[in-house]
Order: sequence, then C-alpha cells, then structure tokens
Amino acid sequence: MKVRFWGVRGSLPVPGRLTNRYGGNTSCVEVRPRGDWPIIIDAGTGIRRLGKSMMESAFGDGRGTAHVLISHTHWDHIQGLPFFSPFYQQGNRVHVFARQRHDTHLQAVFASQTEDPYFPVPLSALRAEIEFHELVEGSQFEIGRAKVTCTRLNHPWIAMAYRIDVDGAAIVYCSDTAPFSDVLLEHEFIRTPPQVGGVLDPAVAEKLASMRAGLVAMCRGADLLIYDTQFTPEEYRARPHWGHSTPDDAIHVAREAGVKTLCLYHHAPTRTDEQQDVILHATQELCRTAGEPFEVIAAYEGLELALGDEEGA
Amino acid sequence: MRVRFWGVRGSIPAPGPETNRYGGNTSCVSVHTASGELIIIDMGTGLLSLGNSLLPTEFGKGAGKATILLSHAHWDHIQGLGFFAPVFIPGNQFVLWGHAKSSSLLEGILEGQMNPNFSPLYTLRNLGATVDVRAVIPGEPFEAAGVRITGRPNPHGSTTALAFRIDEGDRSFVYASDVGYAPGGPSPEVLELYRGASALLHDCTYTPEHQEKRRNRGFSSYEDAADAAARAGVGRLIMFHYDQDYADTDVDALHASCRAALDARGGQAIELTAAAEGLELEI
Ligand SMILES: [Zn+2]
Ligand SMILES: [Zn+2]
Ligand SMILES: [Zn+2]
Repeated sequence: MKVRFWGVRGSLPVPGRLTNRYGGNTSCVEVRPRGDWPIIIDAGTGIRRLGKSMMESAFGDGRGTAHVLISHTHWDHIQGLPFFSPFYQQGNRVHVFARQRHDTHLQAVFASQTEDPYFPVPLSALRAEIEFHELVEGSQFEIGRAKVTCTRLNHPWIAMAYRIDVDGAAIVYCSDTAPFSDVLLEHEFIRTPPQVGGVLDPAVAEKLASMRAGLVAMCRGADLLIYDTQFTPEEYRARPHWGHSTPDDAIHVAREAGVKTLCLYHHAPTRTDEQQDVILHATQELCRTAGEPFEVIAAYEGLELALGDEEGA
Repeated sequence: MRVRFWGVRGSIPAPGPETNRYGGNTSCVSVHTASGELIIIDMGTGLLSLGNSLLPTEFGKGAGKATILLSHAHWDHIQGLGFFAPVFIPGNQFVLWGHAKSSSLLEGILEGQMNPNFSPLYTLRNLGATVDVRAVIPGEPFEAAGVRITGRPNPHGSTTALAFRIDEGDRSFVYASDVGYAPGGPSPEVLELYRGASALLHDCTYTPEHQEKRRNRGFSSYEDAADAAARAGVGRLIMFHYDQDYADTDVDALHASCRAALDARGGQAIELTAAAEGLELEI
C-alpha cells in the first residue's frame, strides 16, 4: 500500500512562508491499497487537493468509490469535506465512517456542518452517493481487501484510532489523543486543567489504563504509527485537558507495541518549520540514544510512503 | 484611519508556497481609527495572527476593547474566533455587530460553531472575555469605536452578507466582501453606501469566466468590483476574497485585468490595490 500525507497540521490551517515545508493544511491522510480505491483518513483542509487529484482518475467521470474514516468531527478533521470535488460529480460513491453518537445520527452532524448560515451548499445538494457508517469501539470491517479495526482515544467528545491491514503491511492512525495519565476526556467540558502527575480517582485510572491497553494492542507490530504529537512537554503541562500528546507519549506506545516506524503528526498551528525540525531531531536523537528499535519521522504535506508488498517497488 | 489585512482569501484557507505573497488565510481586516480605537472586520483564520499581535497591548492584560463587524456567518468569516487569543483573557470586551433578525439569533449562530461536535470550546460562554452581540439594522448608522458605521445587506448566493461603511471625519472605508449582485449590479441603497468612499474593499473572488461556472455561490468577478467602484466614484478600490485555487501569479493577472476593467469604465483616477496579508494602508 501507499500512504500519502495531504494535511499534517492540527487545530487550524496555517498558510504562510513559515509553514511551507511541513505544510499548513489540517489532517488528511490517503491510504491506497495496491490497485484499489483510496481509503482516506480524516477530511481536514488537505482533502481539497486530494479530491482534485482524484478527479484526474475515475472520479472525474463519476465512476469512483472512496472510503473516508473520520477520527472525530472537530473542525480540523472535517473542514475540507465541502471542498472535496468527487462529492460534486454524479455517480461517485463515498462511504463515510465515524464513531456512533448516543444522541444523534452521524448524518445529522455532518449536515449541520454545511447548513445555512455556515455554508452555501447543503449536504443534500451533493451529487455523489454518500453513505454514512456508524462505528463502535472495536468495530472490525473490510474495505475491499483491507481489514480495518478501531479503538477509542482520550480526547474531548471522543476520537477513534484506526488500523488498516492490507498488502502485507499495517498502519495505525492515532489522532487526536491526550496521554492516558492525567485526565479522562469524554463529554464533559473541563474548565480548569487538572494537576499533571496528580493522583487519579481509581475508576478514572482504570478506564484510562484500559483505553491505553486497547490502543497498544491495536498498534501491535504495525509498520507505521501516525501519532498526534502536537504538544511539547511544557505545552502539555499547561493544557492537559486539550486532548493532545507529546512525542514522549508516542514513543512509549510505539515501544510497547513494537511498531517499525513512528510518524509525528498533527503539528501545532503555531509551530514553524524550523521549530518542527528541532522537535523531530530531538526525538530521533532520544530514540537513537535509548536504542529504540523503531525509526522516527515527521509527517509533511506530500510525503509518500510505500509499505508491505510495495516497499522498494 | 489605518487598514491592515490579516486574511484576504475566500471560502477556505489555502496554504502553500504558491500563496505566500498574497497569503492563504481567510477574511480578516483590522481598522485602527485616528483616535486609536480598534475595529475588526470578519473573523476568518487571519484573526489568529491579529490576536497574537494584540497580546503586547492592553489586550494582553485583559483591558482591551474592540468592535467586531461580521459580514455573515459562513465558515471562512468566523473560523478564527476560537483561535483569537484576546478572547480567552478575562477583562477584554468585544462588541460584535452582525446581521440577523435579532441579536439572540446572531448569538445562536456563533454558539453553533462552538458546538462540542465541532470545537473543544463547547460554548461561547467558555471564552473568558465578554462578547456583547448586537444586530445591525440595515441602513441605520450606529456609533462604535468613536466612529459612524452603517451596514447594508448584499445578495450572497442563497443568503446575504453585510457591507459596512466606516466614516471618520472626511475619510471613509467600505468593506463589501462576499457579494453576488443580481444582473444590473448593486442596489441603489448599496450604491449609496459605497458612494464617494475614500476606499472600497470589494469581493473580487475570480475572473468572469470562473464566475460563470460557479454562479450559484454568490461571489463577484473583477468586473463586478470595477463596475461598482466606477459607478460609486470611490477614491481607491481594494481587491479581496480571492478564490482558494488562485496562486499568486493568478492574483497578479486578476489585478492587471481589474485595472483594465476600471479604465474601460472611466475609472482611470481610481487607485487599485490588491489586498495582501500584512499590507497596511492609511486611508
Ligand atoms: Zn485535531
Ligand atoms: Zn480534536
Ligand atoms: Zn467568504
């Protein structure tokens, strides 16, 4: 399979010279099993260019099928959807997957993204056939030859991590999540940040531990682990309730799960290319010194990786 | 007054080296009045940088006051609010003027973008600063930031967007983004709003050819902008809200075409400026 990054930024798109190299578009990753339709993870602003490139293929004449896995519906993960060209071509089929909600249907959440007064084109006016699929933690399903599994993350309003196995390789997409150590993030708004490193209520500690165990199990042996590493340690201590991790947190999961490559992802909007270089090099150095068996890379727009059967091809 | 552009792009932010010169952030303009007050027009992604630039001032200490004018609630005009640092500092005070049947309706619209499905902020009430929301009555001038402001709705696809005129002494600045006129151009009331402005910032999303293909979205071509400017006899026309697919070189071409369109309409005396992120103009 091939994996290509179209948006690597968290929270807000950040155009400008200072982000030209890593890119300013928000979350969007394309996974392309060999000879098959694309599986897209998240629909931040990066999906706009991906959609345009797809229109050069069968999607241009309305004969394409795409699957979109949404980690969660925060803006930086869905903002690009109304600008996804294949939606506007009759005949295309798009399957959208996201976590089931207890209070409303997924379709209603997406419909409200584009309803008046927020956007000029309502969901109902799109020409492609769009089907919504609601997932629960642990859901397993197939997309063509690809096997997909999911598990929940520690993020406000809850996010899903996905694993895709196909062509003799496995990738895991883990964004957005806080570490599983200081605060349990679900549906309540947390006004004042808890003390990092404080003692947790046993029930909360247990829930976090099982969430983390689920993630580590899902990452087991993956060739590529894409991980939300938006925060520096200082930023995390100031905002542990915002639902993002540091490279350190990602390293621990990567080590326990025995992954081959760890990919830093969901870069902070305020991070310049030079600052991101410093974070990457420090993380690589740390892992080299510690003798970690995995490689560390940082996602940037346009990065393409060939995995499994396509490695070296 | 001093006008500065923080975001000049339409519809969705367009990051990438090809938009470095004009900028890829969505609509946000600041106006510093001669008496030193701050007016912010629209809250696209450009608001992030504007907010950070205000932190060394009284806004960093929770003693800042500003007027916000909102043309309409499409995403490219409100997305920056959750990333505007001064709005999280208790003590800062904002008065936000926009278009709705009532201020509570407008507040509901802004509340909707903070809905926990979409934003970790959950609700406007978590912002810290006070945001006092008020509805503009079309054509009725109001006093804010020590100047006189008038708003009038323009057609914009299936909805409308407010154009604002700010008058300070003998200087006037008009902001008219997101406009899709009916055939025949601006309404008489709107033309009156533009009339003789020192500077008219106007929607200039694309070329007439591209407008043809995407008519239903309700945006202007450079011809619409040139036409409005020439008919209203303004001193300067400012191009704004470029299509997300336009690279810097496309905007350069748009600029040249707009100049020709102005001249063809007898607007040789009208100065023409293509808005760019970071550009500052003394009106
Ligand atoms: Zn995110
Ligand atoms: Zn999120
Ligand atoms: Zn707009």
